[in-house]
Amino acid sequence: MSDEIDFDEILGKYHSDPYEYVDICAEHTGKIHFLVEEGSTVQAVSGEWNHIPGTPLFEITRERNPKKITAITNGVVSSLHSELEGRFVEAGEKLMVIRHPLKKKEIIECILKEVLYVFPAPERAKYFFSLDVQSRIEKKGARAVSVKPGDEIIIMSLMKRDTPVYYNGEKGVIHSVYFQPGVSVDQGAPLIGVCPSDRLPLIQKIITRVKADWDKNEEHSV
Amino acid sequence: MNNLAPLTPEALDEYVSAIELPRRQKESGLDCDVVFRHGAYVGSVIRVYPSLDRAMDKARQHIASQEEKKLSVANGTLILASSLHLSKGRFSRSWHAPLGGLWGCLILADTFLPAFRQLLPLIPGIACCEVLRQEGGSTASIRWVNDVLLHGKKQAGFLIEGFRSPVYGENYHLLGFGLNLNNNSFPTDLQDSAVSFSQFLGHSVDISAFALSFLAKLRWSIGLLLFEEERWLARNGGGVYDEEHLLLRRWKELSDTVGKRVVFGYDVLQHPQYEAVVGAIANDGALILNHDDGTTSTEHSGEIRYL
Repeated sequence: MSDEIDFDEILGKYHSDPYEYVDICAEHTGKIHFLVEEGSTVQAVSGEWNHIPGTPLFEITRERNPKKITAITNGVVSSLHSELEGRFVEAGEKLMVIRHPLKKKEIIECILKEVLYVFPAPERAKYFFSLDVQSRIEKKGARAVSVKPGDEIIIMSLMKRDTPVYYNGEKGVIHSVYFQPGVSVDQGAPLIGVCPSDRLPLIQKIITRVKADWDKNEEHSV
Repeated sequence: MNNLAPLTPEALDEYVSAIELPRRQKESGLDCDVVFRHGAYVGSVIRVYPSLDRAMDKARQHIASQEEKKLSVANGTLILASSLHLSKGRFSRSWHAPLGGLWGCLILADTFLPAFRQLLPLIPGIACCEVLRQEGGSTASIRWVNDVLLHGKKQAGFLIEGFRSPVYGENYHLLGFGLNLNNNSFPTDLQDSAVSFSQFLGHSVDISAFALSFLAKLRWSIGLLLFEEERWLARNGGGVYDEEHLLLRRWKELSDTVGKRVVFGYDVLQHPQYEAVVGAIANDGALILNHDDGTTSTEHSGEIRYL
């Protein structure tokens, strides 16, 4: 990570296009039937327990077993591979893109994910800090907790099987925590963002700058 | 001290050959010899102690000390103790483990593919429930994921903890088990929720005979997990495993969870989250819950209590 960050370039990018483009792919092989069109507005999963499904996007059928796939993020379907309607697709084939409007907080997180070491979830499961890390966080706060490769930092809990997760990124302090205890995290989704302690001021500078710039911009647009 | 002396690998092999294998051959249409060969490492080494603090800790120490001596750990090693002094359940809940119960830990090297590893927690509940039903506990049932209940009270509990060995960095699953057999008195806070098998039957249980049967069934179920893994690899060799595993099918036969109204929570006693009705069990073992507003949610981790 470079100490020099071109704030104007980063901020300019998000000002001109304040969206995240989420690829929606086939989870497994099967025949596709789309339930949205290009330009459709879709709603994300919601509810106190994330139990209200998002807008149905498509149905994938394999061996007479139809599965309705719903949106997990809100936005607009910006492109759709309509030529795949009724066709058999392979697992991982891109079906559509959802353009998700980013909020200020999400933009800060997006930028931070570019400059932090992001440690991903190894499996879809629930995650918790290990007892030692949790007690250090409670005493001093996450940003005072240093982690290094090989440290047991998180416990992955899946069907009453608790597995320690060992950190394998660069040494640093826990800057961002992306999971909530007791809430399922998808495989590959970020768990924590870590940065070397000497670069914390730089990260803080990014946050302050984005907040100030965004607030200023919002005032202008009112 | 419980009489755990008859529990040797040789006795287990003999029990499997003479009793469990013929029983399975009669009941299942599978190649039972092959299934048992897959699970044969379970109980290949059995270490019996008069008492321990925690069997899981002893398993960790055993793995570490073997590696420090530049020895490998026998996959399927069993640690058994007549009583445990510092036993605990999940979330540091108390687990009373005096003389009279079956307490221990099975060391399993992580040789499972991810989709099959996910079903591992179902196994001890199936094995225990099968023995109970066979030995007079016909109403024994499994509450998701692997609590074994007799008349609504918990007779056995299991937990699986991952462990990375300190020298070679090998990953293990430590399958801890606690089965209330002849231990008939429980601390006040457990009296309403726990039961022993002898309380249920009204007479005492032969612990070593029960243990041999339980271990033989663990062998079968772990063998079945690997047997299906091999069959799937031969059929497919990749992609997503989204079939109803034979283990899951057996679990469903033994469980009374589907259809029950439950309260769900990750730590349901301390932090109950919501009430719902269990609609189904997904092929990966997840709980599918129907909410009162008509929506559903899928939970891969957490616990339930029946309402």
